[in-house]
Amino acid sequence: MIPQPARALADLAVKLAQSIAPEAGSAYAMANTGLISMLLLAMAQDQDRAVANRVADIEDLKALFAAAAAAHPDAPQAGRRAAFQTGPLPGLRLSELDPWHAEGLAALIELHAWADANDPALSLRIWDFLVSHTERNRFDLPGA
Amino acid sequence: MHPALQPLAERLVTYLAAHWRLPVSLRTVEQIPGGASRETYRVRVEAAGEIRGLIVRRDPKTSLIDTERALEYRTYAAVHAAGFPVPEPLILEEDPRHLERPFSVMAEIPGCETSVAALRDPARAALRETVGHNMWSLLGRLAALDVDALGLDAFMERPAHAAARELDYWAGVIEQDALHPQPVAAATVRWLRRHLPQPSGRLVLVHGDYRTGNFLYAPDGAITGVLDWEMAHIGDPLEDLAWSLDPLWAWPERHLAGGLLPREDAIRTWEAASGMHVNRAAFRWWQIFASLKALAIWISSTEDFMNGESKEPILAMAGWIMTDRQNRILVDRLHPAARHTYTEPPA
Repeated sequence: MIPQPARALADLAVKLAQSIAPEAGSAYAMANTGLISMLLLAMAQDQDRAVANRVADIEDLKALFAAAAAAHPDAPQAGRRAAFQTGPLPGLRLSELDPWHAEGLAALIELHAWADANDPALSLRIWDFLVSHTERNRFDLPGA
Repeated sequence: MHPALQPLAERLVTYLAAHWRLPVSLRTVEQIPGGASRETYRVRVEAAGEIRGLIVRRDPKTSLIDTERALEYRTYAAVHAAGFPVPEPLILEEDPRHLERPFSVMAEIPGCETSVAALRDPARAALRETVGHNMWSLLGRLAALDVDALGLDAFMERPAHAAARELDYWAGVIEQDALHPQPVAAATVRWLRRHLPQPSGRLVLVHGDYRTGNFLYAPDGAITGVLDWEMAHIGDPLEDLAWSLDPLWAWPERHLAGGLLPREDAIRTWEAASGMHVNRAAFRWWQIFASLKALAIWISSTEDFMNGESKEPILAMAGWIMTDRQNRILVDRLHPAARHTYTEPPA
């Protein structure tokens, strides 16, 4: 086992870009080798953080839904959000987390649409979440 | 020539010989990287003693952008006839018998570059500025072309409300293709619907993907060919300008539009060439729309990569890295207390 798979993936990306791409026989192969190298770097970042980020998103969504429930108990789809809020994490594999994460985001979209029209402060709080969500999932790639 | 291209090259030569009724022999063929919507090949053939450079664009198995090849070809023909710099369209072949899928052939414009990455070198700043001025001047010229004189009505719809039509289309792409809920896209669509601008006062030919990387420039900075017209349509003149200024095309250098020119210089250059004035309120709408349209393309490419036949790395790149950047751009544009980390403050 390699204890730091993210570093290993990043090393493979550098190997692909610096040693293998220049040996590619055509501009087409060289360009695609470069793209795959960048994708490996992105995967290296995501491999390390993906579970933590999904869980952080889910925790933030639960807090948002709790705030919405307290302020607007009769808002549409309150039951859906309550079920998400109280539901346990289905597991710590991405294949288990992703459907639950998707359920939370779908419920968020409904709540945001409602908040846009009814509660600007809640809407702003959702925008704050979207900043956190996009920043924690950002890819930082060298030179790009 | 790469051996994998041999069968395609042989079939192409057979086709060209029959089409031109001339003996044709192959000199070289190579696949050009980056053809996200069509497979693109640079081909040199000898026909009747003359060497001809050709660009062959073949429909892919799946594509980043679902487009109508005949519309693109006819647009090339219309603007070429009007003296606008594009590769000369030579052949549109829609019968898949010849190369397995439909394809088109254009004349190659030799001696030019598409990438502007090399212009980041401070030693080439003057050339970068020249290319930038030429880029937005040419876009202004495109906006000034007369839609009626181009004959576009023969194959393009003239929208009653260009902004509403475009928004409906791209919001539909997101709804249809998203593999995971997209809260940033959903919030953006709602904002765009709430702030829809008035119907366009003037309708023009919109390129649909006018940006750095989609034109050829000569060593002196002259733009010799605008490429990739697959998303061309009749629409609002601000649409192309907004698209060309999206921060994604300048990433990571956000202070130069398209990596070429200060943003306000680009807008002034476009205004001078088009003879139009940019209404900043309407322009903000089109800028946010441009980022949404780009996000829709990245979302669609993710779906293509996961569910389609093509496993081109550009599809995965768009679906992963481009989606991340475009989401950050949109949040930065629309957050009520935006920090403008990735975008300029509203004018």
